Amino acid sequence: MPAHIDQFLNFGLPLLILMIAYFVGSAIERRHFKDIRAREKRQRAFPVVTFETLPEDWQVTSAELIQGNVVISLDYFKRVIAGLRGLIGGRIKTYEPLLDRARREAMLRMIEDARIRGYHAIINVRLETSRLANAGRNGQGTAGVEMLAFGTAVTLARR
Amino acid sequence: MKYVPRTPREGINVSKEHPLVEAGTLLLALSAIFIAVTAILIFLVELVVWLVPPDAEARVLSTWTPSDLAPVAADDERAVKTEELLARLASHWTDAPYTFRLRVSDSETPNAMAMPGGLIIVTTGLLDRVDSENELAFVLGHELGHFRNRDHIRHLGRGIAMALLFAVIGSSEGSADFGLLVTDLTFRSFSREQESDADAFGLDIVYEEYGHVNESWRFFYRLIEEEGENSDLLIYLSTHPSSSERSDELKSLARFNVYPLQGSLTELAWQ
Repeated sequence: MPAHIDQFLNFGLPLLILMIAYFVGSAIERRHFKDIRAREKRQRAFPVVTFETLPEDWQVTSAELIQGNVVISLDYFKRVIAGLRGLIGGRIKTYEPLLDRARREAMLRMIEDARIRGYHAIINVRLETSRLANAGRNGQGTAGVEMLAFGTAVTLARR
Repeated sequence: MKYVPRTPREGINVSKEHPLVEAGTLLLALSAIFIAVTAILIFLVELVVWLVPPDAEARVLSTWTPSDLAPVAADDERAVKTEELLARLASHWTDAPYTFRLRVSDSETPNAMAMPGGLIIVTTGLLDRVDSENELAFVLGHELGHFRNRDHIRHLGRGIAMALLFAVIGSSEGSADFGLLVTDLTFRSFSREQESDADAFGLDIVYEEYGHVNESWRFFYRLIEEEGENSDLLIYLSTHPSSSERSDELKSLARFNVYPLQGSLTELAWQ
């Protein structure tokens, strides 16, 4: 019997945690993407541009710095897979949807805030990322991803 | 200027490969790499075993003891009597290249080790738990078996190999455990065979000393009952065959060799 417990602790438990992390993590991810797509559809008519100077025919009546920020955690499955990937190198594919979610969510939060405040467009949009949290036994590694979207929200006299 | 509303395109920034496919590919590829590396390490260790003849090893390391050993006093009664028993048992291995030495390590964990240069280390925890001389003789005979098969060098090599691997992969988070697991499993499949061979040799020694093998291996059984889920024991068990597997094997081996399973037990010299 102790031998079985030993085997369970050695192989079964990490595998079980990995499986739970995968199923819960991918369910959350699917739900998030669904939500992002629905909101993007609602906000698609709102102009969000990256240029720094205004087009000459835009008459701006007010402007404000506006921002959207999000922090999303990794799940255990993604972290383990990325750790394995770290041994041989290559694209960390499990992190790609995470960054995609973070970018789009930050943009949406920024746009939604601008709309609530009655702005008509956002110009000079920039994205920034930082390593907010550390995880892992030696303080290395990433616990999550932070994404900041910011720009200048403007109201226009004539649209 | 005209603004044309568009929703972002999907599939540009996110790979289409299913995460489980990536996980599977990675695990398979890395397992293959680790098993290959371990196989090379095992080969190198075997090379050392082959290159260093036992008498050379015995000559060079005849006085060597590990620096981290915490031995009991040299005139400790149990240590002296156990070394006497060891000498008696070793006399049945007539062409042994080693002059066997015994040290008793002051440790609660029951354990016995074969070290390079003919050194056997038993712990006080083990001496506390043996009930008869026959049981202790089997443990010592088992360690003598390791010397005959030169497993002690393999053990050392395995330790060095694991330490090396850990130094290389220990830096990448998460993967270290996986690498060590695969390496350990690969080594284990070898080590179990070594333990069975050592058991068989121990059985021969016990028979030649006492003329019977009256369940000398019962000691291992009792350990499991006593310690239950003790983690030290779990580590021990996982590198050794399971207890029931082991005693079944020993029983059938004893029958095959026509060693009597019944016989009177000898008391421990210090009892």
